[in-house]
Amino acid sequence: MTERFQRGSLSARFGRPVVKLVLVLTLVFLAFPVVMTFVSSFASDWFGVFPSGFVTIQNWEDVIVGTGVGADVAVGSSLAYSTGLALGGVVINLIVGVPIAYAVARYDFWGRDWVNVFAILPLAPGIILGVAFLRTYPDLSTSGIALIIGYSLLKAPYMVMAVQSSFQSMDLQQIEESARSLGASWPRTFLTVIVPNARTGIIAGSIISWTLAAAEFNFSYIVYSRGTPPLAIFLFNNITNASFLNAAAAVSVFFLLIALVTVSLQIVGNRGTIRRV
Amino acid sequence: MAADQVSMGTRATGAVRTAVGSVVSPTSERQREIRRIVALCLPFSVLLVFSGVFPLTEMFRISFSESRLVTEGFTLEYYRTMVNDPYYRNIAFNTLWFAAATTVASISIAVPVAHALEKYALPAKSVILTILSFPNSLPGIVAAFMIIILFGNTGVFTNLLAFLSGQSRIDVAISTGVLGLFFAYLYSMIPRALLLLRGTYSEINTDAEEAARVLGATPLQTFRYVTLPQIKPGLIGAFILVFRTGLAIFGTVLILKGLLVWTLQIDRELAQGFNIAQASAMATIWFVFVFGFTVFALRYTSAEVSI
Amino acid sequence: MAKVSLENVTKRFDSTVAVDDVSIDIADGEVMGIVGPSGCGKTTALRLVAGFETATDGTIRYDDEDVTPVPPENRNVGLVFQSYALFNNMSVLGNVTFGPKMHGVGKAERRERARELLELLDIEELADRDPQTLSGGQQQRVGLARALAIEPRILLLDEPMTGLDAKLKQTLRQELGQLLDDLGVTTLYVTHDQEQAMSMCDRIAVMNDGHLEQIGTPAEIYEEPANEFVAGFIGTANLLDATVTDGRISFGFGDVDAPDGLRSSGDVTVLVRPDDIRVGDGEGDAAVEVTNLFYQGEHIQATGTLADGQELTLQLDRSLTNVETGDTLSVGFDPETLHVIRSTK
Repeated sequence: MTERFQRGSLSARFGRPVVKLVLVLTLVFLAFPVVMTFVSSFASDWFGVFPSGFVTIQNWEDVIVGTGVGADVAVGSSLAYSTGLALGGVVINLIVGVPIAYAVARYDFWGRDWVNVFAILPLAPGIILGVAFLRTYPDLSTSGIALIIGYSLLKAPYMVMAVQSSFQSMDLQQIEESARSLGASWPRTFLTVIVPNARTGIIAGSIISWTLAAAEFNFSYIVYSRGTPPLAIFLFNNITNASFLNAAAAVSVFFLLIALVTVSLQIVGNRGTIRRV
Repeated sequence: MAADQVSMGTRATGAVRTAVGSVVSPTSERQREIRRIVALCLPFSVLLVFSGVFPLTEMFRISFSESRLVTEGFTLEYYRTMVNDPYYRNIAFNTLWFAAATTVASISIAVPVAHALEKYALPAKSVILTILSFPNSLPGIVAAFMIIILFGNTGVFTNLLAFLSGQSRIDVAISTGVLGLFFAYLYSMIPRALLLLRGTYSEINTDAEEAARVLGATPLQTFRYVTLPQIKPGLIGAFILVFRTGLAIFGTVLILKGLLVWTLQIDRELAQGFNIAQASAMATIWFVFVFGFTVFALRYTSAEVSI
Repeated sequence: MAKVSLENVTKRFDSTVAVDDVSIDIADGEVMGIVGPSGCGKTTALRLVAGFETATDGTIRYDDEDVTPVPPENRNVGLVFQSYALFNNMSVLGNVTFGPKMHGVGKAERRERARELLELLDIEELADRDPQTLSGGQQQRVGLARALAIEPRILLLDEPMTGLDAKLKQTLRQELGQLLDDLGVTTLYVTHDQEQAMSMCDRIAVMNDGHLEQIGTPAEIYEEPANEFVAGFIGTANLLDATVTDGRISFGFGDVDAPDGLRSSGDVTVLVRPDDIRVGDGEGDAAVEVTNLFYQGEHIQATGTLADGQELTLQLDRSLTNVETGDTLSVGFDPETLHVIRSTK
């Protein structure tokens, strides 16, 4: 026993380094290709281990202005189109997601657990829902409306979860009852007291569900038929048809978008914590 | 017997009428509360019906249709094809083992990573967290592109291996093989598993772990006997959700094509001659399987879905 | 302000009865306390008065108006919760003006009213603060100001002091008691803390297991508890088995004169408070062997065994600090402090 304490067990000696090694390898696996993509988007060619011929903005120009061949649309129109579609999805998500998150967080009712499961687990993934939409709403597919309502169903769980995490930090019953005892009707209580108090979660949920809708590929790919391609389709066209470095630039545009969203989420989160102190 | 049924029927109708009545014009606070719950759940239910239940039902119906483009007649032809044709059986087998293997791999990696994040003092932790959660926002096609960057014909590792081994790059590129696809799945699934496991890890009672260490347990024993039992429900929950994710992957495999899985074949049915009925039948099987699997797993295991 | 009454009110949840045939009349301007252990139905009673639960049976009246079916937002009740439940999306002033705004009071008037209340509660400098930045005591005052701003017909306080530290509790108790007296607002005060209720309320209703056990002034409840439960719940009580015969109370350890006018006879339970027992003056009615001593600063609490094996709790003053466990003390009972509360048969 004394001996064991002196030498330490195998796991005491090697456990931590092994776990840390897994962490480091994971980080490299996830981050390295992102960095390489971004770096190579400024290179003029990539034949060796690393890209070369820096710095050129030709790839970015091709993406932003459009090349006129192959994946010929400029990123701007796709981005604008997807922004609009995803915003439509977010509006629907707000209307459906905030109330059901409140119902589950505030009230106790028969079947609540299953309602919760349905609200936070996607019913069907993009590709399955896409096939279902093809058959059911063939006329809506070209107008973008099908994309909007599809996005809103697919991304509603993220809105519900974000809002629920805000609700969980509030004493909902006492807040609701205080407002009502002061003379506010229940709908007014919900709109003027409950919703504003959960704004951090609502903003975070909106940003997350917007991003994921803008990035949704599987559903868009099946349902999209013609016209301006949504952003994810634009990326797909670049990855499959354009030159490798053009594709890197297109994916980099998307990375910048995600980075922007991440930063804004952190700002929202920080404001939340400052107010909580 | 018949009279019994009738009276039960009337009683049921009466109960429904009372319930509906209390929602429309409530008289007690509890009835008003029920009305509120109904009102709060209504928007979501409407969305669920119009963009979920109704399209899925239509999909279900056309999968039995004798005509190709409209729902007409009744045939089990498409389902018979899937059962009898070894081609489809092979795809189903591929899909299941591949999703299971990637799930096990990604959770095996996510557990030590979550452990390190929760227990160790790490430098630049917010950067680490950002890197680990970043891929959650990426669509599968971008994950596929990341694998091309690493293991494609001109990929970084491909070049490195070619340089070290002296073989041609095409010979050592693995991105379009099964192994490349495996890594691409992990690229999406590790961050997802991590998201689920971090929620579980944050709820661990660390006092018990410290007590175990004080009593002489090694770190591994502590993990085995104290930590693992605590994260078990979360771990099972993560298995269920990550496995679902694995089954649903489509964009990644559409680009890399390393293995013919169920979702890719659904697309092929549509792309090659728009066989919507066969695609619907395949989608229906997928949906029923995953839905049943989820309900069953959440009901009959100690799984906890904490996000 | 109004008088408020519960008339034979019963509230059932599925199979459990939370409030069982309770009647309480609260006079205009009175501070009524409801005390009892957790789960006794006191919170349900408050929620019935507020309107958050609808009575299964019985009637709730404000003045003579039957409000049983009226929803809470139309009852005009002021409510202060244990967590204060301030609205974090509004400033302190926004919180206090919220109620008047809902009642259609004009902007200038409601700000004026809010300022007055904040001044009354001595927190006027907090008006523009974010509620999340306030201390517990400040939040409680804001909660109170918010509830009073609607000029409620009845003020409902649900454990408003739990969660504050002992010292602050003491100060707030005095201030709140004074304030309620000054304002003359009808108040229902629900707490599990009988000491708070005793010091703040005009009358107290003691509830247990959904039933109303007794209702009366703090002195009545303390001096003349209706039954063993009330005696045990309010203050420290010795409950001794005895038999009454011919003006004498016979305990297992000896006899004592019965208080004047005692009507019961036969087997009874006798309540005697520790501070009413004379200790160590030589000519006692009984001897107690001390088993435990608890030093409590201002006095010493002792428990001991009587000759017949019954337990007795005593209060020793500080001149008796030399008493040790195992000592025998002689104790004396004054007939007027003995309270016969129940025949055991």
